[in-house]
Formats: sequence, structure tokens, C-alpha cells
Amino acid sequence: MSETPSRGPVKYIMPKWIRGPQDFVGGLALIAIALFALWASSDLQGMHGFSFGAGTAPRMFAVLLLGLGIAVMVVGLVADGEHITTYAWRGPLFVSLAILSFALTIRPLGLVISAFASFIISALGTPEMKWKETIIVGICLTIGCSLLFPYALGLPLQLFPRFLIQ
Amino acid sequence: MAELFSNLALGFGVAFTPINLLLCLIGALVGTLVGVLPGIGTIATVAMLLPITFGLPPVGALIMLAGIYYGAQYGGSTTSILVNIPGEATSVVTTLDGFQMAKQGRAGPALAIAAIGSFFAGCVATVLIAVLGAPLTKLALAFGPAEYFSLMVLGLIFAVVLAKGSVLKAIAMIVFGLLLSMVGSDIETGASRMAFNIPELADGLGFATVAMGVFGFAEIIRNLDAGAEMDRDLVQQKITGLMPTKKDLKDSFPAILRGTALGSILGILPGGGAVIASFAAYTLEKKIAKDPSRFGRGAIEGVAAPESANNAAAQTSFIPLLTLGIPPNAVMALMVGAMTIHGIVPGPQVMQKQPELVWGMIASMWIGNLMLIIINLPLVGIWVRLLRVPYRLMFPSIVIFCAIGIYSINNAPVDVVLAGAFGLLGYWLIKHDFEPAPLLLGMVLGPLMEENLRRALLISRGDWTVFLTRPLSAVLMATAAFLLVLALLPSLRKKRDEVFVESET
Repeated sequence: MSETPSRGPVKYIMPKWIRGPQDFVGGLALIAIALFALWASSDLQGMHGFSFGAGTAPRMFAVLLLGLGIAVMVVGLVADGEHITTYAWRGPLFVSLAILSFALTIRPLGLVISAFASFIISALGTPEMKWKETIIVGICLTIGCSLLFPYALGLPLQLFPRFLIQ
Repeated sequence: MAELFSNLALGFGVAFTPINLLLCLIGALVGTLVGVLPGIGTIATVAMLLPITFGLPPVGALIMLAGIYYGAQYGGSTTSILVNIPGEATSVVTTLDGFQMAKQGRAGPALAIAAIGSFFAGCVATVLIAVLGAPLTKLALAFGPAEYFSLMVLGLIFAVVLAKGSVLKAIAMIVFGLLLSMVGSDIETGASRMAFNIPELADGLGFATVAMGVFGFAEIIRNLDAGAEMDRDLVQQKITGLMPTKKDLKDSFPAILRGTALGSILGILPGGGAVIASFAAYTLEKKIAKDPSRFGRGAIEGVAAPESANNAAAQTSFIPLLTLGIPPNAVMALMVGAMTIHGIVPGPQVMQKQPELVWGMIASMWIGNLMLIIINLPLVGIWVRLLRVPYRLMFPSIVIFCAIGIYSINNAPVDVVLAGAFGLLGYWLIKHDFEPAPLLLGMVLGPLMEENLRRALLISRGDWTVFLTRPLSAVLMATAAFLLVLALLPSLRKKRDEVFVESET
């Protein structure tokens, strides 16, 4: 949701009668989350007798959140508040990609490849990235992690690709 | 009294074994190392280092975690003083006078006073835990589900009152956290709730996963926003003369005493006591000082008091965890997570059934504080050098460490993806001025609250007035209501904001 790349000030998109866009949008998002939770827990059993069903508490909190979301939104409508600050796209994008690539490759390819690749991808998150030093540091970090986690800490991490070991 | 000494003796007996001393040392060292890195607070540090304690026996693991916790706190104050970047919320006020002292070339005394104050506060708090532990455990036995529920409501309200910014938004974050805690199997019926048939969600969202996302990844993304090369007003002068002068000691001693007292009291209260303790201690010092204008210009009391207060509070916050089984803040919640992994359910039973564990940990807190003094003062030079590593190289390393850390908790790639998603959510929250700390607290207390609410209503046969008719519960609820009203009153809000504004300048 925060990946929407928008460079210019967002305030122009907002109509003038919304006096605190930051709170207004925040409240809307809370409402959306609450409605989603209500929908997601709609198949769960409710109260029977005195005792709670599985769905009672989730629905209770979802309704509470719905109310709070509306309140935050109303505050955003009537009270002067902050404008929405611009989202950066580069940092969130590359850091997310790095995390995703780590999650996808750690099982099949092992720690060495996975950690190094993710390091390079996340380093792209800043325009100040320099290839040479990044690769050197990446190699050092990968070696360090490969020694630290599986050996020093004894965690069951696979180091190399599965197809190479077999 | 005799019982107290025998308990402490038992604790020191456990903590003083070579292996546990070593674990405590490693914990304190690693904790400081990670805590010094800017943008990684105590919560993220503990979450990140949680997996390295998995292979240890329970006592050793908890001792090491406690060491990590203090180390991270101490690391946070080091960066506050040296580079004006608070490693975490509790050391925000330390930057005000600490960094000024460093600019005047007095970084050494500032760091030393922070360590000495913390150590003193740690000693007092350790004794306090030992003294209060047993009676509070007895009190805990008088607690029924209704009282537990009310106590947690009080704790959450505390968190709201202490959070900065809008009360409404803080409450919304708590409820969002409560909602997140509902994901997974229902405790009583076993029904799968909001898990969408994803097997990894069947056990619920991992607390460490969410913490790492919202505090670790989100913070990194936010820092990148500001430009990777953060404004690092690094103190370039060589740090000479570590030891404070006699005058420094004389000036700061009363401040340390006051900070310790304030911190110890505020720490016991659930809901992020350590943060408010440091703010309150600083405000108090400024109020009673003969010459308040010295503050913000390198007054040593302005370092001594908040550092003592946050350490005292950090330690006394173990009291509700060990006696009532209620984690008062997010770090304690991670401790609960660690304990559960080792098969320990925190609460009054632990004190009675596994005294060597509880007292060993209490004793190791004291030892941990002592070690921090001994190891950190000579190592300050290394921490400074670490801070010179450019952020463009630092942040990818942090991302990788976090990713490996999360993955190794359950060996589940899905956890890593979830943490990434929560990182984006956390970034969005920061952008919209929602505070992530109440969310985490809500998530921690959610399952406990639901369980006790259900039980209380089952016992009272569906009568909701049970929370008001049982005297202890009624007192807790009334206090919570009173606090909430206070927080919403505009006049007080203004004052409260002032306290926080001070820290941001």
C-alpha cells in the first residue's frame, strides 16, 4: 500500500474541504482494515449462551477499530492537520525486493547465494550505491554470516544450493 | 528477609558459573554492538538476536537475553551522546545535554556518568525486584480473570497516555494490535481465525516477525527516505579523559538518586515505563535546578538523571512479567516469546517452581550492568569507529541480518515475507503519524486479554458488570478511566506535548 510511487506533493490530489489529509486517509485505511477483518471473521462462530465463540472477540475488536477509524477520519475532516508527506519509492521497493528474494531463495539456493543476492538488491535502495565497495562488503558479510549462523550459533541453515549437495 | 538473602544467594550461585558469566558478557557485548547501530532500537535488537539464544539451556538463554537488553540500552545512550542519534526512545532526552557535552570535548565524562548512573540504578532495581517479587506473587494469586483483564486495560491505557501525539490514533493502534493477535487458532475452540488457510498463519503472527517488520525494516526504509547519508554530526574530537571529575560526581549524584527513584516507580507500571521515566527524570531535574538555563548546554545532571531513570525502569519492568506474567512492554513481550520457546510460562508459578531460573536472571541483571561498565568504557573508541561506516553499506547488512534472524526462528520463508509486509505497513504508519509501539503492545496483550475476558464472563455467567463489582478490578478500571479522561483533557494534553516537544528540538 505504501509502494505507490508519487513524487509530487500529494496535497493537490486532495479536495480543499479535507483539512487534515494525513488523518483523513489514515482513518480511511483503518476503516478498510476493520471491514476486512469483519469479512475475514464472518465465518466464525459467535456467542452461544454466556460463552464467546471463536469469532466474538475478533468481531468485537473489528467493530471497535471501525469506530476509531471513523473518528480519526472525522478529525481529519474538521480539524486542520498535516498534509500527506510524499512516499519515496526507491527504498521501499528495493528493500522489499531484497526481503522477497531472500525468502524465495533461502530454501532452494542456500544461505551463501541468497544472502549475497539480497545484499546487492537492498543496496540498490539508495542512489548513493557504489558497485565495487558494495560487492566487496557483500562478499565479506556473506562469509561472516556463513560462519556465524550455521557454525558459531549452530542454526540449521543450509549453505549451498540443494542440487549441488545432492 | 532471610528468605530474600537466600533467594539472592541462590541467584548469584546460578549466575556466577563460568558459562553463565560468559553468556552474560557475550549478550551485553553483542547487545551494545547492535544497539549502537543507528536506526535499530532495543526492540529490533532483541528480536534480531533472539535466534542466537535458541540452542542454549533456558537459564543461559534468559541471562543472555537480559544482557542483550541492557547492552542495547547502553548502546542507545552511546549514540545519543556521541552522534546525537538516539538509538531508541528511552535515550532521546540524553541527546539534549549528552551531545552538548561531547561537543565540548567532555564525551568521556558523559559516557562514564551514563554508565555509572545506569549501574547504580541497576543495583537499586535489582534489590527492588528481589524485595517486591515475592509479595507481588502472592498478590497475583488473588487475581482472577476479571482482575487480569482490568489490569491489562489499565496497562494499555497507560501506553496511550504515554504515547505522543493523538490519543485517538494511539487507541486505534492498540485495537489494531489486538486484532492482529487474533489471527491464528482460537485458544478454546481451535477454530482457525483469519488465517485464510495459510499453514504458517495457523499459529498466529509471530511477535518477533511483526516487531522486526514494524521496527526494523520500517525504520530502514524511513531512513532511506531521508537520504542514505544521514546527517551525522559526528564528534571528531578524540575522546580524552574518560573519568568524570570530582565536581561532576558531586553534581550528578543527587540526580542519579532522583532518576533511580522515579524510574523504579514508573517501570513497574505497565505500558512503556522506561520512555516516560527518562522524560520525567529530565523534566524534574530541570524544574528543581538552581539554574535551569544550563540544561541543553551540557549539564551533567541532564545525562545522569534520565540514564539512571531509564535503566531503573527497564529493570523494574521485569516485575510485572515475573510476578503476574504480563509483559509491560514490547521488549518484555519478546522475553515471553523466548521463555515460551524454552517451555516456560511466565507468571507466579515460575517463581515457585523454578526459583533458580528467576533468581539467576535477577542476579545476572546486576552482573550484566557491572560488565557494561567494565567493557564499554574502554570500547567507546570502537563504537565510534563503527558509527563512521556509511549508511549505504550499513543498511543492506542490517536487512540481511534481520532476514536471517527471522528465517531461523521457524525456518519459514513465509515469516520473512510477512516481516517485509509489516515493514511496509510500518513505513505507512510512520508516514501517517501512527505510533507502532502501542500496536505491538496490543498484539502482545491480545491473547491474554481475550482469554481472561472470556473466562471472566463465563464465571460471571455473562454478566459484564463483573469488572466493576469486584473491588480490585473496579479500582483498576477506575484508574484506567481516570487516566484516559486526564489524557483527553486539553489543558493536560498541552503540557504533555510540551514534554515531548522538548525532546525533538
